[in-house]
Amino acid sequence: MTQESNNNATLEWPAKYNEVPKEVFERADLWPLELEKIFYGDEWHPIVHQSEIPNIGDFKAADLGDIPVFAVRGQDNKIRIFQNSCTHRGTTLVTESIGNKTEFECPYHRWLFNPEGELVGCPNSREYAPGFDKKNFGLATFRTEEYNGLYFITMSDTVAPLREYLGEDFYEPLGRILGGDGRMKFVGYQKVYYNCNWKAYCDNDGYHAPLLHLAFKMLNWQGGKGVQNVSENGHLSFESELKIPDDITALKDPSILDFKGTETSTGSIVQMQFPVTVYSKHMDMLNIRYAYPKGPKGIEVHYAYFTHEDDDDEMVAHRIRQSSNLLGPCGLISMEDASVFSRIDKGNKTPGMAIFQKGVKDEYKLELQVGQNDESGNLPRWEHYRKTMGFKRATS
Amino acid sequence: MSEIEPSVIFSIENLNRDYICSLDKLDMHKWLACFNKQGTYTLISNENERNGFPIGFMLDDKYERLQDRVKQVTEIQEDSTEHYQTRHMTQLTSITSLGNNRYQADYNFSTFYTQNLIETTDILCVGRYEDIVLIENGSASFIQRKAVIDTNVLPRYIAYPI
Repeated sequence: MTQESNNNATLEWPAKYNEVPKEVFERADLWPLELEKIFYGDEWHPIVHQSEIPNIGDFKAADLGDIPVFAVRGQDNKIRIFQNSCTHRGTTLVTESIGNKTEFECPYHRWLFNPEGELVGCPNSREYAPGFDKKNFGLATFRTEEYNGLYFITMSDTVAPLREYLGEDFYEPLGRILGGDGRMKFVGYQKVYYNCNWKAYCDNDGYHAPLLHLAFKMLNWQGGKGVQNVSENGHLSFESELKIPDDITALKDPSILDFKGTETSTGSIVQMQFPVTVYSKHMDMLNIRYAYPKGPKGIEVHYAYFTHEDDDDEMVAHRIRQSSNLLGPCGLISMEDASVFSRIDKGNKTPGMAIFQKGVKDEYKLELQVGQNDESGNLPRWEHYRKTMGFKRATS
Repeated sequence: MSEIEPSVIFSIENLNRDYICSLDKLDMHKWLACFNKQGTYTLISNENERNGFPIGFMLDDKYERLQDRVKQVTEIQEDSTEHYQTRHMTQLTSITSLGNNRYQADYNFSTFYTQNLIETTDILCVGRYEDIVLIENGSASFIQRKAVIDTNVLPRYIAYPI
C-alpha cells in the first residue's frame, strides 16, 4: 500500500552520532518523504484503545500521516479500522472526532456502509459499470494488531509483528501502562496543537525532567532509581522508582500527588514509540498520547486518560483529578514541555547542529546502553530516522 | 431572567467583571478572591462534557487547589511560560435562582491572546461559563465557575485559567 513519491529530498548527516542537523526540523520538503518512508512505511501506529469505543457502533476518527482513518466497533463486537473515505468517490464518511452510528452513509451519492465496513447500499446500481460488484467496494482496511485492548495499524506488509517490532523491553512495560490486562475505562481527552515540527515534539529526553520542570524541585521530589531502555528502531522506555516525599509543604493540597498504587519500584513508566506516540504511567495516571503531525509544521496531540475496571470510586476520582491537573498542556509537571517545543522550533531556524551531550561516551559510536537520565537515549531514534529516510552519514 | 432582582444581576456582573479583569491583568490573587471557601474551578472541553468524560484541562475541586493554581502560575511555572496577554469577552445569557442566595449564571465567552513579542492576536478558546454564585451582603462570589470550551483542540498550551 506504500505510496511511492517522487521526492528526492536529501540531507547530509554529520559524522558524529550526537549531532543532528537543525534543518531537519525546518525543511518542509522532508515531509512527503517522511510520509512515504515512516508513516506509510515499516512502522506500527496505535489508533484506539477498546475502552474509547466501548459500545457497538462507537467510532473514533484519527489520522495515519495525512490519511484519515476511523475505528468502529461492529455489531459482532469486533473493532475494525478503516480508511475514512467512501469507496466510490472518496468523500469522508466520518466528520466527528467520536460518536456512535449504526451505519455510515456518504452524503454525496448515498452509498451506505455497515460498521463491519461492507457496502450495503448504493442508489441506481443497475446503471453502474458492467463489472461492478458491491462485494469489491467494502471500506479499505489495514493490517491490524491488538495488545491489551490497544489497536495498532500499519501500511506495511513486511514490518515485523507488533511484539517483535516493539521489543520485549518495550512490550512488557507497555502492558502495565495499559492496565496490566487492558481492562481500562476511558475518561477523557485533552487535545492541543503544538507549533513545532513533529520531530521536535518527539525529541524529549531523560535529561531535562528535573531541570525544566521546577515542580519537581519545589516539591522536593527527587528522582528514584531507574532505567532507560532503547532499541535500534527508535523506541525508548523509561522505568523509574517513585520517590514522593511524605511532607510536601509547597502545596496546600498535596493529595494531588498521592500514589495509591502498590508498585513504587516502577511507579513511573514513560515510553516513546517511534515515530510519534508517548505512553505514560506517572503515579496513578494512565495515559496514551496519540499524536498527529499536521504536515511539516505543527502537531496535534490527543492526551487520552484511563482508569481501571477494578478501581473503586475513590481511586477513579483520584485518577481523574490527578490526570486533569498534573499532565497535559496545562499540567503542573508537564506544561513546560509545551513551552520548550515552540522555543525549539523557533531556535532551530538558526544554522548548525543540535548537539547531544549527556551520556555520550564516544561521539563516533552509537551506544544502546544508556543511563536513566541520559539524553543520549534519543540518538538511536535519530539513527533509525536517518537510515529510514536514506540520508547519508558523512565520514569522519 | 425577568424575575431576578436588578441588584442580583448587578452583583453577578460585578463578579464576572472582577474575574475577567484579574485574568487580563494577570493578577492571580484577585482571581482567587472571586471564589469563596467552597469555590471550585473547572476548564473542560465541550467534547468531554457532552460525552460524560470527566477529564478537564484544569480541575480545581477544592479551595486549596485554587490556591495551588495561583502558586503554579506565579511561582512554579512563571519563568518557563511564554507569557501572553488575554482579553476575555463575555455575554450573560441567563440567571436562575437556586434559593438560599445562590444563583446559576451562564455566560458565553471568547478569549483572545497576544503572545508577547510576536504581536499577532488569535482566539485562544470560545465557550461558556456555567456558574454557581453566592450573594451575601450584596457581594457575589463563585461557588463554581466551570468553563466549557467549544475549542476542543487548544491552539497552544494554556498557562492561566480562562
